[in-house]
Amino acid sequence: MKNTKKFILTMIAVMAMVVLAACGGNSSSSSDNDNGNNNGGGSGETVSANIGVVSFMTGSGAAYGEAITNGLKLAQEELNEAGDVNIELLIEDSAGEADQALSAAQKLMNSEDIVGLIGPTLSTEFEVVAPVADQNGIPILGTSVTAEGIPQIGDYVFRDSIPETLAIPASVEKAADEVDAKTVALLYGNDDVFTKAGYDAMKAAAEELDLEVVTTETFQQGQSDYKAQLSKIKQADPDLVLASALYNEGAVLMKQARSMGIDVPFVGGNGFNSPQVIEIAGDDADGLVVATPWFTDSDDERVQAFVEKYTEEFGKAPDQFAAQAYDGLYIMADALKRAGDADSEKLREALLETQDFEGILGTMSFDEEGDIVMDPIVLTIKDGKFVEME
Amino acid sequence: MFLEQLINGLTTGSIYAMVALGYTLVFGVLGIINMAHGEIFMFGAFMGVVITTTFGLPLWLAFLVAAIVTGIMGYLLELLALRPLRKSSESSHLAPLISTIGVSIFLENAADQYFGSGNHPVESGWLDTSFTIGSVTIYTVQLVIFFIAIALMIGLSYWLLKTKGGKALRATAEDLDTASLLGVNTKRMITATVVLASVIGGIAGILVGMAFSSVNPQMGLAIGLKGLAIIILGGMGSVKGAVVGGMILGLSETVIVAIGLSGYRDAIAFVMIIIILLLRPQGLFGKKTA
Amino acid sequence: MLGEFINPYYLQVASFILINIILALSIYITLASGQLSLGSAGFMAIGAYTTALLTTNFEVSIIVGIIAGTLLAGILGIIIGIPSLRLTGVFLAIATLGFGEIVRVVLINTEEITRGAIGISGIPQLGKEILTFFEGFGFDPNNLGLTPNQFVFSAIFLVLLIIDILLIWFFLRQKNSRVGRAYSAINMDEDAAATMGINVTYYKVLSFTQGAILAGFAGALYAHVLSYISPADFSYHKAVEILVFSVFGGSEVVVGAIFGASFLTLLPEILRSISDYRFMIYGVLLVVMMAYRPQGIIDERMLRWVKKRFKGGKKDGTKREEN
Repeated sequence: MKNTKKFILTMIAVMAMVVLAACGGNSSSSSDNDNGNNNGGGSGETVSANIGVVSFMTGSGAAYGEAITNGLKLAQEELNEAGDVNIELLIEDSAGEADQALSAAQKLMNSEDIVGLIGPTLSTEFEVVAPVADQNGIPILGTSVTAEGIPQIGDYVFRDSIPETLAIPASVEKAADEVDAKTVALLYGNDDVFTKAGYDAMKAAAEELDLEVVTTETFQQGQSDYKAQLSKIKQADPDLVLASALYNEGAVLMKQARSMGIDVPFVGGNGFNSPQVIEIAGDDADGLVVATPWFTDSDDERVQAFVEKYTEEFGKAPDQFAAQAYDGLYIMADALKRAGDADSEKLREALLETQDFEGILGTMSFDEEGDIVMDPIVLTIKDGKFVEME
Repeated sequence: MFLEQLINGLTTGSIYAMVALGYTLVFGVLGIINMAHGEIFMFGAFMGVVITTTFGLPLWLAFLVAAIVTGIMGYLLELLALRPLRKSSESSHLAPLISTIGVSIFLENAADQYFGSGNHPVESGWLDTSFTIGSVTIYTVQLVIFFIAIALMIGLSYWLLKTKGGKALRATAEDLDTASLLGVNTKRMITATVVLASVIGGIAGILVGMAFSSVNPQMGLAIGLKGLAIIILGGMGSVKGAVVGGMILGLSETVIVAIGLSGYRDAIAFVMIIIILLLRPQGLFGKKTA
Repeated sequence: MLGEFINPYYLQVASFILINIILALSIYITLASGQLSLGSAGFMAIGAYTTALLTTNFEVSIIVGIIAGTLLAGILGIIIGIPSLRLTGVFLAIATLGFGEIVRVVLINTEEITRGAIGISGIPQLGKEILTFFEGFGFDPNNLGLTPNQFVFSAIFLVLLIIDILLIWFFLRQKNSRVGRAYSAINMDEDAAATMGINVTYYKVLSFTQGAILAGFAGALYAHVLSYISPADFSYHKAVEILVFSVFGGSEVVVGAIFGASFLTLLPEILRSISDYRFMIYGVLLVVMMAYRPQGIIDERMLRWVKKRFKGGKKDGTKREEN
């Protein structure tokens, strides 16, 4: 009996913890109700719409989700202020897991009245959610998915993040030209979708440019010792290292590579592109080449305004995930405006017609499959700073 | 090239050996596998990040803080997750395993939450130097790791075999009740073992952080699973087994990468476990006592 | 009318609960004979990948794919189960953990077949296949007042519900059969069970294999519900999650698995903001359960008490749980 009592007490303690945790957690719906979105449907000018967001906000990739939701919230604020549209964001967490992402999306599509969906964050989640959204006739926009074949899932599937198959050939070509490369070493994280997709694109790009692959090495998540792989690369002595890694692994990779005397440029994929690389690797980050839609230090006025506002609001500089999400909501709002009505079908049609949209990422259009069309810029790190590569 | 890979293998092996020592000590005395050991190791590594990178304090302080923090964690682990199980008569032999899995999951996600996911850089200061002999580059930190691992093994063996505390520990391992009858404070011995094992893990963690200049919340799981493989390979509760097993695993992982199968690197440990469990379940140096 | 009551969101969550119940049962059934397997995620992966590869590459029907996946998981269960008999408790747990990791690493590295970490997409979805099947007979979900979408998720839910009911019925029956009694005898004391003439080897392998089959089956269903799988779905964390379902709910009784899987699947849905702390809570739960209630929330005593309390009332549901 004593045990039972003790047990009940403990359970109460646990439950209390759960509740506390729940209270401490961030509230998941961010609406701008205070300036009143109750203009009603009749007033004509303002299109009010609910947009669902599924994002990776808790767990190991929480940083991505945070950047994305921050970007969205900033865009929402500006859009609602401008007054053409009144958007309410309904944000749900997916914790980076496919099944949770699907439940969250189902909740948004069926229990809330959303006209469009942004997210989820990872390709693995997106592959599960997109077919269901398509089936429901809800336009879904990926702002961070870079794998091949995503917009081809269905008619309602769009993305504004540039796929690896577009970004990587650009950066490999520029870097190869720069050092007049003949041989490359490939290095990639093989247990992650981002980096595996990047690797596939790199391999194809190397073939395209007639670069000889002298060695292909892999590493896994959570590994922090890359010396064995790097020793092999050092021995193979390539002109370029094509490294498909997420930025935090990639930065460490470069640090270790430089300390072992591998001085050739590194070409990275989308996930490698982050100011964090410089922060983690310091001087050793010099010589990284990435193709990106997003360049924080660009001279463009709108970009600078965005960076400033974002930094002020959230206390850190935006990365490409924030920028892509920000533009993503703008694209949706633009389409909504043209649709003139909060209707999923009209929104899809308007989205498809998006041509030469001027965002902070550049000039964007959707092709007939809903994939982004734009030119990436190629950046390289020089003296601890990202600069555009000529 | 060969020599460089050999050194890489020995460094990795030394780290694995240090991690395995923690498992083996706890198993030797308590007869249980502490699944949370890898996460304690990871916390040790994070102390290195916090002290050197976040606060910019000197390296020796990082070692001290890591040792203290992981020691406390070991104490709490024993107090909260292991001691209650010994009192409860109902619990099965699987209970400590499940309980420590609980602790490991908790710690991994707590680290994720509070330190942030992804890799964190470590400032290794003077350890971040290297010298070249012939064509081979050797890093100071590699030497330090290698010698600390050897020193720990020798020190631990000496302590276990020659000192009073070590004898008491071995007596506790041999037979808890008899040791208790003979005047050994077994309760204290058990706590001391878990704390000692955790401190060794914490120091290993900070060394790893410096050797590879990166620390992440998932590293505990990755390295913990390898530590498990090693004690099974070397023999549960054997100090020698932990060190030899660690070296074998470290070297064979390097070989796998060197022959171009880097994707299978993580699988070796588990293939090893399964083979050894089937052929020689007691491990290479298997006897029950330390 | 009917349409207004059917919300695919609830059906989706319910479907995940039903799949998780099967997974929890797989732990329950191996624990019944005193074995702890941490390889359930590995067996799940075998089931899921087998049917995914068969249905996407060779156009075999879903049913054949699921059966093949389940059988392959079962065969591997026997292959792993027999040598593992030499191992006790902790060692078995680690060996199975090793098995799970090897499966994952192999899936990642056999890129030509499994597409590695990219995963397999476009796996035929159970509900859509059912819809197409019925449409072949000129059926239109609108006749029931349902949108195609509602029909799809209702179909998945109903199929899973029937499967779960059958499985639960089977295991409740088994518990009181010769097999079930042999399991609990082995669980209590293996040597004593052997002296009583129980073929320990046979029953231990049987129980391990049943667990593998269930996990493989759940994996195959999972693949056809999500229509996309990748190795990340079958990591060590998944194995721990499955273990928590059973350990929390109660590992002695079938109802425990049902309760654990339902409660813990619903929890993050109801309290989305706790998902930040979900695994931390799982961790604390495991420690607390082991210390104070190693048999889980629901145990046999509780069921007996419930039964006594409602004697004469509900005979059916509780009667079978009695030992």
